[in-house]
Amino acid sequence: MTLTLAWRYLRGRGARSLLTTLAVVFGVMLTFGLNGILPAMMEAFTHNLLSAAGKVDLTVTSSYNQPFRPDVVNTLLRVPGVAVASPGVQRTVPLPASADAGPDALAQLVVSGIDLATAARVHDFPLASGRMLGPADTAAVVMNADLADELSLGLGDRLVLPAAAGTARFTVVGLLSTATVPGQEQVFLTLPAAQQLLGLGTRITQVEAVFAPGADRTQTEEQVAAALGQDYQVGGLSTESSLIASLQTAQVAFNMFGIFALATAGFIIANSFRTVVAERRRDIGMLRAIGARRRTIMRLFLAESLFQGIIGTALGIAAGWAMALGYFVAMGPIVQSFIHIDIGGPVFTPATWAMSILLGVGVTVAAALLPARAAGRVTPLEAMRPQLGEVYERRVGRQAWIGTGLVVASLFGLTTGSSGLIGLGAVVFLVGFAMLAPAVVNPLAEWASHPLEVLFSREGSIARSNLQRNPGRSGITVTAVMLGLASIVATISMVTSIFAGFTSYLDKSLSSDYLLMPQSIILAQGNVAAGPRLAGEVKAVPGIGAVSTLRLAQAKSDGGDVQVLGIDPQTYLSVADFDWNTGSSDAAIAQLASGRWLIANGIYATQHNLVAGQALVLNTPNGQRTYHLAGIGNDYLNAKLSTLYTSQANLERDFNVTADILVMANRTAGADATTTTALLQKVAADYPAFRLYESESWRAEQMKTFSSTIVIFDALVAALALPSLLALVNTLAISVLARTREIGMLRAVGATRRQIRRMVMAESLLLSVIGTGFGAIAGLWLGYALVAAMRGLGWEMPYSFPWAGLVTTVVVGITFGVLAALGPARSAAKLDVVAALHQE
Amino acid sequence: MSEQPTPIVEIAGLTKVYGSGVTEVTALDAVALRVPEGQFITVMGPSGCGKSTLLNLLGGLDTPTDGTISIDGQALGDLPDDRLTELRRRRIGFVFQFFNLIPVLTAVENASLPLRLDGVKDAEERAVAWLERVGLGDRLHNRPDQLSGGQQQRVAIARALSTEPALVLADEPTGNLDSRSASEIGELLSQVSTQWGRSVLMVTHDPRIASYAQRLVLMRDGRVVDDVELDGSHDGPRQALERAGLL
Repeated sequence: MTLTLAWRYLRGRGARSLLTTLAVVFGVMLTFGLNGILPAMMEAFTHNLLSAAGKVDLTVTSSYNQPFRPDVVNTLLRVPGVAVASPGVQRTVPLPASADAGPDALAQLVVSGIDLATAARVHDFPLASGRMLGPADTAAVVMNADLADELSLGLGDRLVLPAAAGTARFTVVGLLSTATVPGQEQVFLTLPAAQQLLGLGTRITQVEAVFAPGADRTQTEEQVAAALGQDYQVGGLSTESSLIASLQTAQVAFNMFGIFALATAGFIIANSFRTVVAERRRDIGMLRAIGARRRTIMRLFLAESLFQGIIGTALGIAAGWAMALGYFVAMGPIVQSFIHIDIGGPVFTPATWAMSILLGVGVTVAAALLPARAAGRVTPLEAMRPQLGEVYERRVGRQAWIGTGLVVASLFGLTTGSSGLIGLGAVVFLVGFAMLAPAVVNPLAEWASHPLEVLFSREGSIARSNLQRNPGRSGITVTAVMLGLASIVATISMVTSIFAGFTSYLDKSLSSDYLLMPQSIILAQGNVAAGPRLAGEVKAVPGIGAVSTLRLAQAKSDGGDVQVLGIDPQTYLSVADFDWNTGSSDAAIAQLASGRWLIANGIYATQHNLVAGQALVLNTPNGQRTYHLAGIGNDYLNAKLSTLYTSQANLERDFNVTADILVMANRTAGADATTTTALLQKVAADYPAFRLYESESWRAEQMKTFSSTIVIFDALVAALALPSLLALVNTLAISVLARTREIGMLRAVGATRRQIRRMVMAESLLLSVIGTGFGAIAGLWLGYALVAAMRGLGWEMPYSFPWAGLVTTVVVGITFGVLAALGPARSAAKLDVVAALHQE
Repeated sequence: MSEQPTPIVEIAGLTKVYGSGVTEVTALDAVALRVPEGQFITVMGPSGCGKSTLLNLLGGLDTPTDGTISIDGQALGDLPDDRLTELRRRRIGFVFQFFNLIPVLTAVENASLPLRLDGVKDAEERAVAWLERVGLGDRLHNRPDQLSGGQQQRVAIARALSTEPALVLADEPTGNLDSRSASEIGELLSQVSTQWGRSVLMVTHDPRIASYAQRLVLMRDGRVVDDVELDGSHDGPRQALERAGLL
């Protein structure tokens, strides 16, 4: 019975049920959709980075991403339980760009050098045509048939690959029938051929092992790890872990937006149910009179909210799914061209499902709880009384004081400088504001109505008193609008700050005129480096002045991975600079030349609580080395990755790295740009792994890519804004319905339809102006807190005041105020006077 | 009134005082009343005389300041809310001035509401039977907005009778109806007592509707000022009111 009744009531409310349910839909859509996007991206990264499955039980790689001696195979084979250990080489190499290649053309390949004696026991190589590699093949490759198609290659064709020095040519001798995993486009060479191509000597980059049948997996893995020591990584490849950490940070932020939208939905629902309870006092009274218990009444309302929660959540999940799919369709190509990773499609983990369902249904039912309790307290006598138009409320005093207390308390969060406390402060601030809203809404309405009465001279004051009469309801609307708009301002604050931060890195970090670098330098591992000859050749080009290079190694510190970049302290400042954190300066660079000194970037320094002068122990391929921190600074390329910088001399001594990953060069004053560029192009042509960028155009390209990602944020902002529109529409519709009789009376005593319409419009404008004001203040705070929190995580970025965001919010807020009023204003004006006066 | 049947309602010294100090209002002042089984009693009197208060107290919707009420042998006294609710559900039927039907439910669903609240299995069949008896057999599945005022009040009466209550309390049941529908409801309530054996206590302002009752209780300023048997003539209540100086 309760369920039937709840369902009928829900359907009976038609438009209003729809509006409130839509609010839940949006909240769940954001929570579910955003959580479907990020894990999918992480999975894509992980998938692309981990070795392809095959029969491999275990993969051994270097903890420093360095090649290692092949005798590791023997160590591995000595571990009981290991049946096969196959040495190999795997490196990603860029494909020389061809003139006719389209934007989707494959930009890189994974070169796999396989040990012919053992490879077949860890991987299948089913031949579709041609033959398998033989021991004598020094210039032959085998690849999947589908990959060969993509590269327009057939048996006997030539494949040109970049080598440590220049290029090397290979003949395709065999095609495999296995399917290629996107992002794992592999060509197979014999191990010696691959070692020669990549300049590795006899060293290898991985060992793949297969366990003996019946071997205890965990135990064997542990024994392998113990036998190899900490220089080796057992299991998957741990590369890019810091990138994944950044994505996880983003996920937290995204979750916050989803929860915000749901909180807005909660307010809308609470408001809706409060009014519903007031409207149904007589029904409730009758039910109580004919024998319904208090808890039956409460259950009735909770059942109604449960239905709403279930429907809203189901639709929200569907919409979230669509949103995530849309995202992948839109973003897939951008990500593909930017970081060469196929991000695939949305992935919804059980946790995402559980969280979305719990939040969606939970928020709805929780929001209905208080109104439901109030309904349970309605006495049977209500059925006997003529209905009151509205329920008046006066319980704002204590709540307002608590709200004020919370707002003041949250101010302390700002002063601490700790990102956790600032974040907490922002939330406390919002809660405080929400509690304060009903108390301040009346004086604010008083104040805001003065300008309004210029526009609405006759209706303005009636609208104001309508609003002031029920501060509880007005407060809830204002809070819902505030939450919606605050998240917009906060998102825009964060985005403009990130944008400003990156632009500043870009300008400072890459001040050189030319860059020669691999195409996917952001994911630097696996790129082919160039010997020192390239920098020499660049320097020799007429018109080129200062030249400096970057080198790359991997280290472990505190158990985590960190990339170590080698810079040349003598020349670095002539072509680039750091964005220094407080207390650090260019002097730190000079210090690098004077021994084992390091510069840490913001992320790394924050994660490890570093201060200048502090000692840091790094695990290098040559053993443990103690370095000291010279300063903390950031460059654009590594803004998001944990990075340490030291001198190239240190990198050679401790990491055996002498190859350049990036060459930066400046023109001399007066050199002709066109001629110099043309000469440099010639040099670069011999190094197919590298591409020559003029910094201006590279920067422009980076900005373009970055701007395109902002589209996502714009969509997010729109999705966040919609619930606040719903809040306004809903409250106004409710307030019109609740005052049907009163509107009838106004019409009876001579108000024209136009005046009624304008009265509703004026009330809506008042509510939205106050809500927008609150939203702007709360959003600025929240935005500042988000930026501070990001800074706390090590993303050094300036706080950029979101002027554009504020203007957008004010425009959106006021526009919504007008839009929301259209429907209710029209229906109020259309009310039949006699029927309205007789309305119960 | 020589041989009195068992009383369904028995009240003694019933007093209800609202407010305190200068705002104190005595709505009921030591009222005593017995309602025998199957009797149709109407209560009349000027506005504010305590009619509705009496009805509310009888229905267990409000609590008296002093005095006792017993319904169907059960003293209302200090019954907790849940027990009182149960008593209302099983032994008392309510008919209101504004019908108070749930707008989103059909006639059958409205009429079966108290039975469903009580978890009765054949709720719908019983509701249908009552709707047929009150003459709405052809409107079973209409919603309130598809029924006339008189029809809505019939649904409300079917709802009140569906639990086979001992007592039906009707508060101005015709106050919102045209005169023809009002007469039909008066007849129906008379039928409730004479044919179906329920006690009915009705509050009304309309002397013509009051004439369908068997007994008339007149009230003024919280006291019972007269208690007369009616003979079914339409003028009976009017004459009684004149005698008591209430017209």
